[in-house]
Amino acid sequence: MNNQECAVCDRMAVKKGYCSVHAKAFDSIILKYEYWRKALDVTWKEYLREIAENSLTGEWARQVAEHLARTEAEK
Amino acid sequence: MGRYTFIITEKPDAAKRIAYALDSESRPTQKYENRMPYYTVRRDREIIVVPALGHLYTVAAHRKGRDHYPLFDYTWTPRYMAERKAAGTRAWVEAITRLAENADIFIDACDYDIEGSLIGYTILKYACGGKESTAKRMKYSTLTNEDLENSYAQLLPQLDFGLIEAGLARHEVDWLYGINLTRALTTAAKNHTHKYVTLSTGRVQGPTLKFIVTREKKIQTFVPTPYWKITVHLDIDGQVIEAEYEKPAIETKKEALTVVEACKGKDAVVETVQIRQFQQPPPAPFDLGALQAEAYRLFHYSPSRTSSIAQHLYLDALISYPRTSSQKLPPSIDYRAILKNLGTMPKYNELARDLLSRSHLRPREGGKQDPAHPAIYPTGNAPDAKLISSDFSLWDLIIKRFLAVFGEPATKQSIQATININQQRFYLKDIRTLEEGWTRFYKPYVHAQETKLPEMIEGQTFKVKELALKDKFTQPPARYNPSSLLRRMERQNIGTKATRAETIQTLYSRKYIQNERMAPTDLGFEVAGILEAYCPAVASVSLTRELEERMSKIQTGNEKKKSVLEEATGILKPVMLELQQNEQMIGEQLGAAIIRTQKEQNTIAECPICRQGKLMVIYSRKTGKRFVGCTNYFERKCSASAPIPQQGGIAATRRSCVTCGWPIVRIFRRGRRPWQMCLNPMCPSKRKRE
Repeated sequence: MNNQECAVCDRMAVKKGYCSVHAKAFDSIILKYEYWRKALDVTWKEYLREIAENSLTGEWARQVAEHLARTEAEK
Repeated sequence: MGRYTFIITEKPDAAKRIAYALDSESRPTQKYENRMPYYTVRRDREIIVVPALGHLYTVAAHRKGRDHYPLFDYTWTPRYMAERKAAGTRAWVEAITRLAENADIFIDACDYDIEGSLIGYTILKYACGGKESTAKRMKYSTLTNEDLENSYAQLLPQLDFGLIEAGLARHEVDWLYGINLTRALTTAAKNHTHKYVTLSTGRVQGPTLKFIVTREKKIQTFVPTPYWKITVHLDIDGQVIEAEYEKPAIETKKEALTVVEACKGKDAVVETVQIRQFQQPPPAPFDLGALQAEAYRLFHYSPSRTSSIAQHLYLDALISYPRTSSQKLPPSIDYRAILKNLGTMPKYNELARDLLSRSHLRPREGGKQDPAHPAIYPTGNAPDAKLISSDFSLWDLIIKRFLAVFGEPATKQSIQATININQQRFYLKDIRTLEEGWTRFYKPYVHAQETKLPEMIEGQTFKVKELALKDKFTQPPARYNPSSLLRRMERQNIGTKATRAETIQTLYSRKYIQNERMAPTDLGFEVAGILEAYCPAVASVSLTRELEERMSKIQTGNEKKKSVLEEATGILKPVMLELQQNEQMIGEQLGAAIIRTQKEQNTIAECPICRQGKLMVIYSRKTGKRFVGCTNYFERKCSASAPIPQQGGIAATRRSCVTCGWPIVRIFRRGRRPWQMCLNPMCPSKRKRE
């Protein structure tokens, strides 16, 4: 993968390894984790799985969630 | 033929109406000049009524050719010289010029608005040899005989140059933006892909596309959050009623479970019952935007369809001029005369009689005003022939709204009961109509959901039948539909009432957006992204609105056309420079997006055979014919294919055949009603029919 490329799509990465749209989705995921943690006491990993499976999650947010989950698993 | 009066109208239908209204025996003679129909009217002097075909003149570049930009030099020219599709208007312009030669009095009877005034002005100026300064003006809001007769008797001494100046400015600014931005995008894409695809954008189109793209970004980056909702079913005198917990959204599961635990096995006690009466005033009369929104809510008509139907009804003299932003009904339209005429139709007889029996008629009016026309109202005329269903629905809606605005407020009662279950509060709500008021006149278009709560008194106890804890998630924002987007454009004051619906339609035809619930295509995303990156001023809503406001001020003489044009050009020049400097990069971005969008639009559905590939419209290299095939065919994994009609558009429906499970597609062919078909050539349902 080219360093310049977004971790999810082939657009140019602009922030934290993501292109502008996926970076926005990443910010949204980070922001909402606090709500989920308070509401259900879920771990980060569980949270990512939940939102990736939720049909209301936006497509770009789902792609980032799946990418983050994969990265976590690889670690 | 001696000297005569020359009346120019906007469309042939309007010419016919005016000719019949002004002829002393209502028998004008229809004649033809260069195959253009016109009417000779006998009165105290001879009059000829000549129709235009909408705009016969347009703004065009001095320089010929389609590839160069930027362009800042322009002129007003006949449309047949500027647009290939308008070749047919040449005969009309020549016919008008010939008929104008022997006329000594000129009257502009085009619609009294910016576009109408501009149509009349350009024809009088260019086709009639400079008669715009001496011409008189007919001003009317309906095409009824009385209104037209009055308008002819009280001619305005000159054209409305405020409207004309505003129209000229609007067309010239829109041309400058449209031609330059469109050419910049189209040329960039063409130089990269070597294919010609028109990529239009403009002063209103850019910000409108931005609304849709911004909303889509919110949807695609949306992460739902969980919350909980608790409801109880109460048994009240044998009737099961649902009450909601006082907090409509409980943020943590722990709190929700605590509430449920506290309520388990406990009875419900009525703590308080609050009854409140309130009055619901009648709605305001329709302006175009409100009519489009209501027609979408009730009949699902797109704003452009509503505009077009309303235009038919106006030309048939059934309603007043529809392209109005007024919510006022002045007494000069003669409420009683309209109601009397409506009362002659059995469907409206009873309602009209009710209103006519009142000593005083005063309509409820809204705040919006339009100096040129009142709100939309029925003329009271009955149709000459049976109306087709869509025309009838809209006409009926306009009549019912007109009747409703004279009604008295409806009296409603709201009841809120607080129910206590072991110190946990729940609410029961109910709204009921006590007096129908105006809603009686607006049936069946009134939207009122009423529940009937049984009588309750404080301290009364009920059994809890069921306690439900529901897992919920916050919802992403809704996509725009044609009606909500139009309302947003109205609120932001971008575009005009006459052009907003058309702008939305252009976004579809350019393939920037898709579906009724509007989602941008890849191409739409890319165009919006390019505008944002290289010319944010053009995509800026506030700048567009500011320009719009300044153009409106020209109409009232508070702004000069020249200074508005100078400002518009001042914004555009650096933008064009930026676009030219980045043409190659823009071309690459657009080229890739065009390919992705075409691929997306050629994709029908998942392959029903291999379940891995996608069924796509493919063109055979050998024969040039098209068919549907699986994308896995090229990897020799799947051979699913199906024939499709060679002509017309083809669109996925996201539905599968109930017999075989293959996708169903929709075929569009010019002049024919669209039809749907199952793609499977061997589908048993087809064999049955054979």
